[in-house]
Amino acid sequence: MKKRRISVLMAAVLIVSTMVSGCGGASSATTAAASKAAAAATTKAATAAAGAATTKAAAAATTAKAAAAKTNVAAPKGPGKVQLKRLGYNVAFDPNKDIMASVIKEKTGYDVQYFTLPAQNSDEKLAMEVAGGGDYDVVQCSVNQFQTLKSQGALMPLNDLLDAYGKDVKSGVSEDSWRACSDENGTIYGIPYKYPHPQEVAAFMVCRLDLMKAAGITKVPTTIDEFYNDLVALKKFYGDKYIILSGPFRAASEGNENWVFPKTIASAFGIYNDWMVDKDGKVYYMTESPNFQKMIDFLSKCSKEGLLDPDWAVNTTDTVNEKFSGGKSIIACSNRAGVSSTTPAIIKNLGIGYDDLGYIAALSGSDGTCTYMRTEAINQVTVILKSCKNASDAINWINLKQQNQLFINIGVEGTHFTYDKDHKISPINPIFAQERGNSYWYIDSTNEKEYAEEWPSRVRKSDAQWAAFQVTTLDVNKNTPKIFVNNDFAFKPSSENYSTYNTSLFKSLNDYILQVLAGTKTINDLDAFKKEWANAGGEKVRTELQTWYTSFYKNKK
Amino acid sequence: MSKEKQKAKESVLASEKFFRGIAYVFMTILSLMAILPCLHVISKAVSTGENVISGNVLFWPRGFQLEAISYVLKETEFFNALKNSLIVTICGTAIAVFTTITTAYPLSKSSFKGHKVITMFYVISMVFYGGMVPAYMVVRTLGILDTYAACILPFAIVPFNMFVMKSYFEGLPESIEESARMDGAGDIKILTAIVVPMSKPVIATITLLYAITYWNNYFHVTMYTKSASMRTLQVYLYNVIYNSQTFAENTLNGLTININSEGILAAAVTMSLVPIVALYPFVSRYFIQGITIGSVKG
Repeated sequence: MKKRRISVLMAAVLIVSTMVSGCGGASSATTAAASKAAAAATTKAATAAAGAATTKAAAAATTAKAAAAKTNVAAPKGPGKVQLKRLGYNVAFDPNKDIMASVIKEKTGYDVQYFTLPAQNSDEKLAMEVAGGGDYDVVQCSVNQFQTLKSQGALMPLNDLLDAYGKDVKSGVSEDSWRACSDENGTIYGIPYKYPHPQEVAAFMVCRLDLMKAAGITKVPTTIDEFYNDLVALKKFYGDKYIILSGPFRAASEGNENWVFPKTIASAFGIYNDWMVDKDGKVYYMTESPNFQKMIDFLSKCSKEGLLDPDWAVNTTDTVNEKFSGGKSIIACSNRAGVSSTTPAIIKNLGIGYDDLGYIAALSGSDGTCTYMRTEAINQVTVILKSCKNASDAINWINLKQQNQLFINIGVEGTHFTYDKDHKISPINPIFAQERGNSYWYIDSTNEKEYAEEWPSRVRKSDAQWAAFQVTTLDVNKNTPKIFVNNDFAFKPSSENYSTYNTSLFKSLNDYILQVLAGTKTINDLDAFKKEWANAGGEKVRTELQTWYTSFYKNKK
Repeated sequence: MSKEKQKAKESVLASEKFFRGIAYVFMTILSLMAILPCLHVISKAVSTGENVISGNVLFWPRGFQLEAISYVLKETEFFNALKNSLIVTICGTAIAVFTTITTAYPLSKSSFKGHKVITMFYVISMVFYGGMVPAYMVVRTLGILDTYAACILPFAIVPFNMFVMKSYFEGLPESIEESARMDGAGDIKILTAIVVPMSKPVIATITLLYAITYWNNYFHVTMYTKSASMRTLQVYLYNVIYNSQTFAENTLNGLTININSEGILAAAVTMSLVPIVALYPFVSRYFIQGITIGSVKG
């Protein structure tokens, strides 16, 4: 009996202690409960967890400390005297073995070890690395990861370091970009990297001009009415022999979310984003746009008349690419990554040339409306952790890279690129792709103005991408630059309600549109959809976005 | 034989034939469901690029090229990932089998004092999991992050496998061990010379289970390693799939059409199948043994 009581007591103690450790999550590493669980391991583990807890608690004193540290920036040890460690997002290649590692070392003199986050659970892995005292000097993170680390007080303020050793970095990045990575006191916590081309038509349509000409269509449509008439003419001429318009292109690319309707068409109805801002500064959702119903009516009409791919609701990016490159569709939704594989394939399969392919960028409405969102947004942020021991060298290294931006990202004139007659950079293939193809991963900071001029050369390394880019982006910027509207939320930090609700809100919007195209719902169901949307978190997200927008742009003025 | 009995026998034979026919058809369909996707991927790996991108490849290559496979073998980290997987699997399996045997054997002896309490500890660890963060902290504290040890030691013993082995050991006749003890054999001699040889079926099965666990392990490798040089085959494959668009856009541009993102993906998957396909004929019977090991008693 006594033995049994002892056994039961021991079991109870074991179960309770196991449950305490079993209930831990990422944040509990910073709590006393997790400290107890970690104490079962070693003292060092408990110290690391306690250190993270202290860091979080000290976040409020960061600003005062930064001010005190103004005159206390350590001198860098210098190239060759220290090995830096850089952590970045996941890539398929080994960044230590890529040629770029030696190129950067050659120019900056610094020996750097590169590490990558995993493809899955990267946020959790980064949180564990930081909480466990990861000894990285430079961390390249997404905007969401940056906001999380900043809120946990894990980041080193960079103002003094940039003033001392990062002058090129400071002057090369725009004020708006700095504001996105600073707090309200102007303390900079990260170095932003902005998408290099501010006005790219990232989502467009590619079309078979040879088939269109055979049907009597002599030029690519530019208005929604021309587009509709062309679809009807193609249907009349070819019947069911070809799919007239294939889509959607679901792959996210450069700000192109998983829209189930083409942005090319949406532009004609003034719809450029899921969340937009009217001229009075009021935030509204796409479904609240006065033209949303007209757009749905248009798509529904096209679907009923057999002008859209019958598999529209179930098509994937790969099937849209396959149908176009196999010669089964006349017009297909696409983007640069899509055409880089479909164009060579269709040329080889069907024996046509680049002249037989056309591109539809953004259509104008009957009333002249045409809006396309600027692609200007922060893609990633480079940060320095508070635990970094080589902060001055890290900033110095990033500054050196930016000073040699052209060499590192584009290469040597005459070897990797030349200048064409318009003094635009033209890459020399295949050496450009082989020796500078992966340079994008090593970027921490750019001179935004200069890189906007240099970056198109990276598109130019693919003839297929360049052919589309010239028509859809360069020509549009030259001929109709006024179609571009601001990305109102380009510099918005991650926020609670947006992170919680927006993905599911957008999915339900896509589902509703697909149901209308399939005929199972109609535009009359829009009011019911709006009510459901509001209850599903739509109003909460709106309030949050409105607060941020008003504050950000008020402070800017 | 009377007519009724003959009729009954014939109807049993007929129904048996009918059932067998249905079973054959069903098994054929299941086999095709398993084989056809593999054929599709292998065909894509060796088909010409324009056919792959256009979706013209089904279960047989269209056009033939080896550029994609050559690219995967020469220009990507395939061999490094394969080397890492082999090291982790072979060393991990050896360590795990050793620890499982040496844990299960004493726990199978009722004369071992405290065996019930220790067994209970294993049961608790089977039921409750401490969480990802504490496990990471333990590995980090041991100083084995980003090493092979981090990929091996956390799975050095799986309680379920240990219990299977323990049950088998408990079923062995005690008289053989007693007679060996009377001849002067100690515990270790009995374990190595008598128990292990008699337990080959269960050891083979447990070895296979551990090998499959180590070979397929993805999540823990990504948690405990950070260098690209430490990636195992599963991590390498997932990275190629996850990054296929960026890979195609940045790295593959300027190369031939045969080296495209879908082709590279198919080639990487095909090459990853080779070690398993090569090994399977030698271990297939242990799979079958593993399935039936607990089913027949006496």
